[in-house]
Amino acid sequence: MLETVVQAVINGLLIGGIYALVSIGVTLIFGVVKIVNFAQGEFVMIGMYISFYLATQFGMDPIVSLVITMPVLFAAGVLIQHFLIRRVLGPNDMPQIFLTFALSLLLLNLALMLFTANYRTVHTFYSDEAFHIGELNIPVAKLIAFVVAMFLSGALWVFLHTTDLGKAMRAASQNRDVAMLMGINPNRVFCVALGIALALAGAAGSLLMPFYSAYPFVGQVFVLMAFVAVVLGTLGNVIGALVASLMMGVAESLGIQFVGADSGLIVVFAMLLLTLAFKPTGLGGGRAR
Amino acid sequence: MKKDRQDSLTGSSASKQMERRKFLVKTGGMLAAGAFGAVPLRGWAADPINIGALYPTTGSMAQIGTGCVAAAKLAVEMVNETGGIKSLGGAKLNLIVSDVQSDTTVTRTETDRLITGNKLSAIHGCYASALTLIASEVAERARVPLITGSSSDQLNKGRTYTFTPFARASQFARTQLQMAKLVSEQAKIAVIFENTAFGTSTSNGLRELAASEGVEIVMFEPYSAGFTDASPLINKVKASGANTLFSISYLNDLILIVRTVKQVGLKVAINGGSGGFVMPDFYKNVGAPAEGLQGVAHWNHDVSDDAHKVNIEFKKRTGEFAFEYAGGLVAQTFMLADALERAASADPKKVREALSTLDVSSGYAAMAPGGKVKFGPDGKNVYGRPVGVQWQNGDLASVFPKEDARAPLIKT
Repeated sequence: MLETVVQAVINGLLIGGIYALVSIGVTLIFGVVKIVNFAQGEFVMIGMYISFYLATQFGMDPIVSLVITMPVLFAAGVLIQHFLIRRVLGPNDMPQIFLTFALSLLLLNLALMLFTANYRTVHTFYSDEAFHIGELNIPVAKLIAFVVAMFLSGALWVFLHTTDLGKAMRAASQNRDVAMLMGINPNRVFCVALGIALALAGAAGSLLMPFYSAYPFVGQVFVLMAFVAVVLGTLGNVIGALVASLMMGVAESLGIQFVGADSGLIVVFAMLLLTLAFKPTGLGGGRAR
Repeated sequence: MKKDRQDSLTGSSASKQMERRKFLVKTGGMLAAGAFGAVPLRGWAADPINIGALYPTTGSMAQIGTGCVAAAKLAVEMVNETGGIKSLGGAKLNLIVSDVQSDTTVTRTETDRLITGNKLSAIHGCYASALTLIASEVAERARVPLITGSSSDQLNKGRTYTFTPFARASQFARTQLQMAKLVSEQAKIAVIFENTAFGTSTSNGLRELAASEGVEIVMFEPYSAGFTDASPLINKVKASGANTLFSISYLNDLILIVRTVKQVGLKVAINGGSGGFVMPDFYKNVGAPAEGLQGVAHWNHDVSDDAHKVNIEFKKRTGEFAFEYAGGLVAQTFMLADALERAASADPKKVREALSTLDVSSGYAAMAPGGKVKFGPDGKNVYGRPVGVQWQNGDLASVFPKEDARAPLIKT
């Protein structure tokens, strides 16, 4: 019994690491640029396809292909901010919602056209391997994904707290208008925020590739969890999103184990509702960090 | 220069002469035909016979839908190459494909549009039972026969224009249970199924039959389709002590489940059922761990010599072996051709009459497990039965029951 619980917690934490990469991106964009990026999941999908093609065409390991997916998606983020989002940043929210939603639909259908709806899987030598500790087992691919995800989250935290640009981003997320009055160039900060958010989504894609199949709709599976994590962990709060993602992974896993395999999400959403009822600002305590 | 002109002039006068000759031949023929009064008013060849094909060629089921359309085209070409429908003056089949976009609402409007916009003799479609049920409702109302490989038993209830030449979902369950008994004397089965109409109806069929087949179900668990991680579910299977796992899932979930079972090092025989499991893509995605996995199908490419021929041609065109729905589709087209031949009419009501009296036991129309097709009053093939299959060396081999087995079942 204890082993089953421990195993469920391990499973939850491991997948929670992937949720974290997606939700940190969403919360970063919301915190800094104040828009909700509905297309975040599609960038995970793009990351997966890039890794898939690098793996099948050039034999590159999906984890190693991080060094390509992250810069490519960073550049994509900067371009999207500069040429698309910048034009709709105004007092009205509607154009922003439509823009990112349209982007999501566009990318989805482009992917369907280019890659078809086929499932694409990469087999690495560690894909079906696991560490066995007593009765417990820890799949190698998921462990690598978790460790890298935590490293990237840590690196982002260091960046936000030690560099001028990072501090400017935090300032912009705390109070955009005052930050601008202090001489922070908003477009530059926004571009970097979008870039980092998309790079994290791309990283999530690459990390998923050794154990998950790529297909055009794959992003939607993860983005739903990401949105819940972002609300749960206080909108705009990076640490909150990280913690909430891990908690959700564990809650989902325990839910499947002890409530029912079709109730994993019910447990997650119950957690969300309770949080909103008793702590409407989210677990992060209403402050964007 | 002048010479050129001369040449071209003679050239054109020669062609004019040709035209005149052709004109004479044609008008002469027309006059002669008029005298005998045997030729239909329009055109020279008999009118083509329109067959509607409803498949999801875009959306989440696009990949399978596209494969179905490839098979439908192949089947129509095969019928036409052998002279079309002879009782209708060698009329050719004309396939009209319509995309139902993997969506129930679109299926309704597309079926309606297809029927009202074209003079159809029959329809086939739509792969997914959820879509076929809707297309069948529309076709029933419009009185156009619909023939389908979809397995939902619902399709045989209160319908008169719907024909199902292959095994029904309820029959699949019994075959799966019987296969489990072959692998282990004391089969302890964990049933995991996605919480959709497809998953629930199939799993309930399994549960109802388990006792009569003397098989114990130790875990019976619905899950939400499209999960991110199969580990918690497999963790649960492990805790149940099952030695056989039945997974009723679409492709992506099943890939995750099989890979996770291997990661965890769980020793269970897996029966992946039908659907995504019997698709070439399953093996491509799972790779070696798929070896020895069992499933059920309403058609397999090794059931007969004719099926084998179809498989070779399908492989040439698409690069993959003919999956159950594609192969079944070719057989269905030949059933329609047989009905049209006997009806000697393209009228959908007469085609329905002819289908209801169909009785074949040879040729492409009969390539099904059991090798015979004859419809009962509920549109069900009275000889229909599923075939148990197993992945062996990257190919899907028929292994059960004995009469249909083309390779021995490997116990893993």
